[in-house]
Amino acid sequence: MLEQAAGSYFDALTAAFVDPGKRLFLGYLGSALVIALVWLTWFKGRSLAQACGEVFNRESWWSRSARADYRVMALNSAIMLVLSPRLLSQLGVSIFVFEWMHGAFQGRPGPPPAHFDWVVMMAFTLCLFVLDDFSRYVVHRLLHRVPFLWSFHKVHHTATSLNPLTVYRTHPVEGVLFVLRSAVVHGSCTAVFVFFFANQVSLATVLGAAVFNFAFNALGANLRHSHVALGFWRPVERVFISPAQHQVHHSLARRHVDRNFGAALAIWDVAFRTHCHSEADETLRFGVKGEPPDRVHTLAALYWRPFTEGGRAVWRSGARFLRAGATRPRVQSPGAR
Amino acid sequence: MKTTISLIAVLVGSLSAPLSHAADDHYGDFPVTVKGYSGDRTDSTAYTGQVARHLLHNSLKKLAARGGGEPDEELEARMMAYYAGEDDGREILDPTTQGGFVIAQSRIDEISAGNNLSGKAYGGAVTGWPGAMTGAEVLEFMIGKAAAADQGFDVLTGYDYPQLISKFLMGAVFYNQAVDNYLDERLAPDVKPNDKPYSEGAPYTGKEHVWDEAFGYFGAPAHALSLTPEQAYGIAKADEAFMDAADYDSDGEVDLYREMTYAHAYYAADADKSGETDYLHTIIQAFLDGRRLITSAEGEALTDEQLAALQSHADTIKSNWEKVIAEAAFKYAGSVYKDLNKLNIIVESDGDPREAFRDYAKHWGELKGFTLALQTGGKDLGATAVELNRLIGYGPVLLGGGKGGQVAGIDADGNYTMGDAVTMGDYAVNMIKVQRLLADSFDLKALKNDATAELHDVMESLNESQSAETD
Repeated sequence: MLEQAAGSYFDALTAAFVDPGKRLFLGYLGSALVIALVWLTWFKGRSLAQACGEVFNRESWWSRSARADYRVMALNSAIMLVLSPRLLSQLGVSIFVFEWMHGAFQGRPGPPPAHFDWVVMMAFTLCLFVLDDFSRYVVHRLLHRVPFLWSFHKVHHTATSLNPLTVYRTHPVEGVLFVLRSAVVHGSCTAVFVFFFANQVSLATVLGAAVFNFAFNALGANLRHSHVALGFWRPVERVFISPAQHQVHHSLARRHVDRNFGAALAIWDVAFRTHCHSEADETLRFGVKGEPPDRVHTLAALYWRPFTEGGRAVWRSGARFLRAGATRPRVQSPGAR
Repeated sequence: MKTTISLIAVLVGSLSAPLSHAADDHYGDFPVTVKGYSGDRTDSTAYTGQVARHLLHNSLKKLAARGGGEPDEELEARMMAYYAGEDDGREILDPTTQGGFVIAQSRIDEISAGNNLSGKAYGGAVTGWPGAMTGAEVLEFMIGKAAAADQGFDVLTGYDYPQLISKFLMGAVFYNQAVDNYLDERLAPDVKPNDKPYSEGAPYTGKEHVWDEAFGYFGAPAHALSLTPEQAYGIAKADEAFMDAADYDSDGEVDLYREMTYAHAYYAADADKSGETDYLHTIIQAFLDGRRLITSAEGEALTDEQLAALQSHADTIKSNWEKVIAEAAFKYAGSVYKDLNKLNIIVESDGDPREAFRDYAKHWGELKGFTLALQTGGKDLGATAVELNRLIGYGPVLLGGGKGGQVAGIDADGNYTMGDAVTMGDYAVNMIKVQRLLADSFDLKALKNDATAELHDVMESLNESQSAETD
């Protein structure tokens, strides 16, 4: 039993680096390294040695913050191994929506002709990518704006140095939220497509990963959590979030607070006025204002404190709500004299 | 020289291996172990009565499809002769010789005389069928209705009687007798003990024959263990492509006693064709192991240890047999789901729904028959049975559903009364729920015609854990 659990844990941990469906797939890390070196040498005029020094600097990879990232990733892998099977599954959501659609539409339409297969495949793959990205924007924004949720998301932002593994520096409560988000979005989207297009629905993949996710990850997504400030041409940054823009999201600077919630697409930030361009050669400091860097990387701060802070946030909101109710003018009921 | 000897050894070995393997796999030729037997039989294996009942069932199904749409007393009497009669001379209507698939027997009494189905039919209440009847009564009621239906089909209710009779009967007689009688109470130490003949002068002991009878009801050829699922399935269809596979003794004829596939053995093979299950071989292996265990007692009473081992084999057979029926019900729930969608498209486009409705009724009859059969195993299925009966209802939802869209009961004169039904869209959802309920309750694996298979396939290609990555 223990041996089996240890095996599953080891599999989950290694899958993070060998599965092309995961951000930390070694291939994506390799492509990010190449992109970083090309960017720093060709566009920023660094020598190869300087570029290597910037990419593999000790602050990024072995600071107290970075070591906390690794501990969180190792612990979360075990926690999610236990929690994931107990959460709402994509399949559960998809069956629920699929059944609901039968009642709503009173029967399924016949599928379009077979030569539409590739159109359906591309439409499904694109739709899934766009919906997935939009839902990430919404959840991410809520994580920042709702005090209770911010208590948990803060764990990610207390990283004072960034490296690709920082993507896994999250509180398990946030991990659960993102699993549920994925279940709802993937489950619903798949159910709708399968309802209308039956076995014509398939995912366009490269190495088993959805083609758009593959492109996003292969084109330097791992530089989002790094000190390599790779920015795009400004018009492009209004469509796609550059790694430098995500670093802006982590920045302590006041003008950068609550900016760039997007994952791959910047269009949501543009549409909802949370967009911010990256600035060339800008030196950013990362972390959360008011959080002493020497106190935010302990296990207690990373796992327990979000609960106490979250509890206080709920208490404060409740008290505010009650106070607002007490000061509101009383409305006499129509029957009262 | 050494190489030549090795080559000969390999050749001899490879030639003799299939023969010895086949003999090991064959259910039969068990020696007579009963004490004091004075006859000349050397083989104690006997399940002729069960095979005779398979032939009665197959023939009854054929007759159930011969109605002309008006009450037909002669047809009903003929059907009853197969259901409740015991006369000699009853012709085997199915299976019969088809091209190169040559059947050895043509009358049921060539296998065994004096058998009927009604005497062995489930005596408990069938709550999934209207009229508060026992299993035996439901079958007789259906036979009466089939005799008046047009080729077994009643367009007003959507009932397909050959399918309803066949699928329910397989449960109410074969499954019920095997799992609730022979592999249950008759395995008790003091019932049909192994140190006494089954009946006076019989060449087999009590337990030997009890076990053989259960095997007979499953419907597998004696050499089933050496057959692939495709072969066992093809034999039941009397397909001449499978003549050689069926003809175990190579006499040029298929012996309906030992070489034919019937009833649930056929559905086990059907499920196993998916490659996801091995019901047929698992069940047959358990029957073989159990029979060898009984034979090894050499006519002595079985010890507690032997009885426990035998019970373990019986449990394997019972649980897998139940899965076989549930897999078949699952498959037909998927067929009904597809039919409902097809009908919806035809109706929407003002097409002619008659052919599609006939298919729907056929598949519904199979689904209903199998789900009713599941409830005849003597095991309380509890909420699963209640839920299955509610989701499927007493009859198929007729075109459009709504008021009068489904059979709701039977009046005092034996006529159906119609009640309100859900829409066909909602009924399609019921079929998805039926499949999920069956898959979860019976831990099914073959899952043929899964209405949500496409969802499963697409979901597998999505990487769920990827979504846990946040920014």
